Amino acid sequence: MESFLAIGLIVGKLAVVIAILLILPIPLTWIERKIAGHIQQRLGPMRVGWHGLLQPLADGIKLLFKEDHIPVEADRFLFTLAPIIALVPPFLVFVAIPIGDSITLFGTEITLYLADMNVGLLYILAVAGIEVYGVILAGWASNSKYAVLGSLRTCAQMISYEIPMGFSVIGVVMLAQSMSLLDIVESQAGLWNIVTQPLGFFVFFVSGLAEAQRIPFDLPEAEGDLGAGYHTEYSGMRFSFFMISEYLIVVFLSALMVLLFFGGWHGIAMIPLPPVVWFLLKLSFFIWMFMWLRFTFPRYRYDQLMSIGWKVLLPLSLANILISGVFML
Amino acid sequence: MIARVAQRMSGWIGWVFFLDLLDGLSLTLSYMFSKTVTERYPDNEKWMPFPRYRGHHFLKSNAEGKTNCVACELCARICPCRCITVVPHEDEDGERHPRVFEINLGRCLYCGLCEDACPADAIALGRHYEFSDYDNKALVVGRDALMAMPGKAVRGGEVVPARLSTEDGVTVPAIAGGEGADWWRNIRRR
Repeated sequence: MESFLAIGLIVGKLAVVIAILLILPIPLTWIERKIAGHIQQRLGPMRVGWHGLLQPLADGIKLLFKEDHIPVEADRFLFTLAPIIALVPPFLVFVAIPIGDSITLFGTEITLYLADMNVGLLYILAVAGIEVYGVILAGWASNSKYAVLGSLRTCAQMISYEIPMGFSVIGVVMLAQSMSLLDIVESQAGLWNIVTQPLGFFVFFVSGLAEAQRIPFDLPEAEGDLGAGYHTEYSGMRFSFFMISEYLIVVFLSALMVLLFFGGWHGIAMIPLPPVVWFLLKLSFFIWMFMWLRFTFPRYRYDQLMSIGWKVLLPLSLANILISGVFML
Repeated sequence: MIARVAQRMSGWIGWVFFLDLLDGLSLTLSYMFSKTVTERYPDNEKWMPFPRYRGHHFLKSNAEGKTNCVACELCARICPCRCITVVPHEDEDGERHPRVFEINLGRCLYCGLCEDACPADAIALGRHYEFSDYDNKALVVGRDALMAMPGKAVRGGEVVPARLSTEDGVTVPAIAGGEGADWWRNIRRR
């Protein structure tokens, strides 16, 4: 009976997480378009529903009924496989992301995470790396020059930026003496890591922008020079798979920033709020930050992108490890 | 010399702390919380043109409700598009008036020369600007329709409350009694 309940609990949590993740891009597209509008002194979507709230649904219906087009010269198997490979890793990542410690409901203690791995951080970075395969396969299978160029850029960009990203979290791991995200958050109960690791946070943030392929690092899908980059040839639901994956990566990177550098669900002592609310507040702040940056900055040139990755971020992240080590001794 | 060094130093400090990036971010942030300039046409608002605006033609009428037009055909003669057709006749009072006064709005270029040429102050270009149609035959407008058209804008240059209506064709009538607002009120000038 006891184990039956435990398994039921896990399945239930899994279903809830999958449902939330599938629904999440719907409000996020609306919020992004609203933020874009207001930054440009427009209103954004206004006509479908109250303040355009139903606009994402209308978009979704449009995407569902669009022709599912596969180019003649495309590699059909890889072409259909690529969106799925791009979509699965963001879902897998959320297995290891905790949104709180635990709550007690009807006398049973429910932990607010699916799995507390002792190598949680490593798992997250590794699984997030798989998402690149989807992008590369999509570009390759489309058999179109724009798509191939886009995926080549993605390839180079991801390899360049995953290194400083990995290095920048080492400082956090050193402080917490653990790679489990729960332990990392617990170690920040007194002092958030942003105070001791500002350099690490900066490197993580910039390389996170590049990993999510957001402006100013959205070269893989630079509209101006590549059409749409790796998903030029995609339409309908397959295209929306890439979009969902992109939004989930933004959410996951924001969650990671909150967990690693901003104390997870630990709030400021003066304002008493439930821990989960604290976590969600910080999460939404960072999602908003991503969108704010998107509509402020222009895109970097390709050589600038590379030199930022290798000449600025990589030395900075190494210096961060060195400084953290010296201070810990 | 010292000034140059100081300038270079401040440039480096700005580069290290991303001051220019922060400048851009603060600008977009201030825009995000400023008022929008969107004119919600045709759902909530519509634009009232200035008195100088040259829109749909109209025929002015005198106190007895008859048109001012004396069917001299000067407007038809000066029209660069040849889009005005006037057929004169003598009515029961012995006055010269147009029997047919047709303007092909699809050909008209809204130059306003007919208004300038008119000796009787009869034809003018008014404030009405929503008269697109699916059928180009509907763009040939006759005398009575022209006499019923709204005249020139009085004040203009403002946004008035309006509502999209699909009852009688697709129209955007202004809501009666609505207060007009200057569209430029939310435009930021720096």
